[in-house]
Amino acid sequence: MDWSFGLTMTFAGMGITFITLYLLTLLIRLLNKLFPFKNEEEKKGKT
Amino acid sequence: MDAFIDALNSLGQGFMNLTWEAAVMILIGCVLLYLGIGRKIEPLLLVPIGFGVVLGNLPLANLGAQDQGGIINLLYNAGILTEIFPVLLFLGLGAMIDFGPMLANPVVLIFGAAGQFGIFITLLLALGLGFVEQEAVSIAVIGACDGPTAIYVTSKFARELLPAVSIAAYSYMALVPIIQPPIMRAMTSKKERETPMAAGEKQVSQRVKVLFPIIAGIATILIAPMGAPLMGMLMLGNLLKESGVVGRLVDVSQNTIANLVTLLLGLCIGASMLGGNFLTWDTLLVFALGFIAISMDTVFGMLLGKLMRVLSKGKINPLLGAAGTSAFPMSARVVQKEGQRANPRNFLLWHAIGANTGGQIGSVMAAAVMLAVLSGLGIGPLS
Repeated sequence: MDWSFGLTMTFAGMGITFITLYLLTLLIRLLNKLFPFKNEEEKKGKT
Repeated sequence: MDAFIDALNSLGQGFMNLTWEAAVMILIGCVLLYLGIGRKIEPLLLVPIGFGVVLGNLPLANLGAQDQGGIINLLYNAGILTEIFPVLLFLGLGAMIDFGPMLANPVVLIFGAAGQFGIFITLLLALGLGFVEQEAVSIAVIGACDGPTAIYVTSKFARELLPAVSIAAYSYMALVPIIQPPIMRAMTSKKERETPMAAGEKQVSQRVKVLFPIIAGIATILIAPMGAPLMGMLMLGNLLKESGVVGRLVDVSQNTIANLVTLLLGLCIGASMLGGNFLTWDTLLVFALGFIAISMDTVFGMLLGKLMRVLSKGKINPLLGAAGTSAFPMSARVVQKEGQRANPRNFLLWHAIGANTGGQIGSVMAAAVMLAVLSGLGIGPLS
């Protein structure tokens, strides 16, 4: 069995998947802060 | 008179050339048709796959996926070997999916990563069983719980395993409501399963819904460009839906494209299941490893769920971990059912849908990273 291939794939695969999804959670939090739902609703209410 | 006898002889050629392997496969095709039509199990997939198996194994019909010049061979070459079918399915999927619950509660996105762990456990097992790297990756990706992703990766690297991998991937996706609950119950106490979570839909700004597929698409493709076709189409489909300005394109993506591709994909996969290449020991191993992959996805999702429950001081129900797979929306429904079984006032569906859509993104990311590693190591497709 090619352990080096298997372990490289496992650590790179899980590590990068976790890190990417964590970065996406940060991105979503940022977007939610920049464009909160409340403001949008208020704007609609005013118009 | 001789011409008449010759004509009769040629009429019987089909029976004369029917091998036992082809007869077994035709029987398997009929079982798939029964499951799809009689039992209504994934009929959209099993009916075209089942009939494809029957057509592909009829001798001299020239309808097998490998029969050069046959109509199904043309579709197979144009849609599966080029990877167009799985990629187009992702466009339809993106147009159907609602990232809203995940955007409102982004912490559940992390479950989408834990739900891919089974892929890598299975990869190690497949290598241990003697499969070469490309085959091991193709089998492992069944753990993505995502038919199109499994087909995309396998058609790239180990085409001879395509029938077994695709059937296993779709079968186990359909069996999620049977596979997951015993694992979920075994890994949690009743008290943990009873953990209440706030019900009610938190709203998200429409701007966030529109910006997410654009920014997330760019970011994830920059990180793992090998997954660009899948991630790009998923995010394009979702952008079409959330933009609110291209209703006709959304309609064609959700219905015409998704349905047409499902039909042709199922037919081609079925017609590629020929006795000689399907009735093998490797097929049994693929099915066994696929089962392990999906079970391990659930186990590691639940472990992360338990950790998140502790870290959040009891605000997150660990059952959500099981929804981190890409089996959408089956896993989310299972979580809701198990949550209500433990506590009838529990309403986990909305949170579970968020984790489940996170699983969609996680499965594409995991597959993209595997493709990138293979490419980085200079490992190409099996000839």
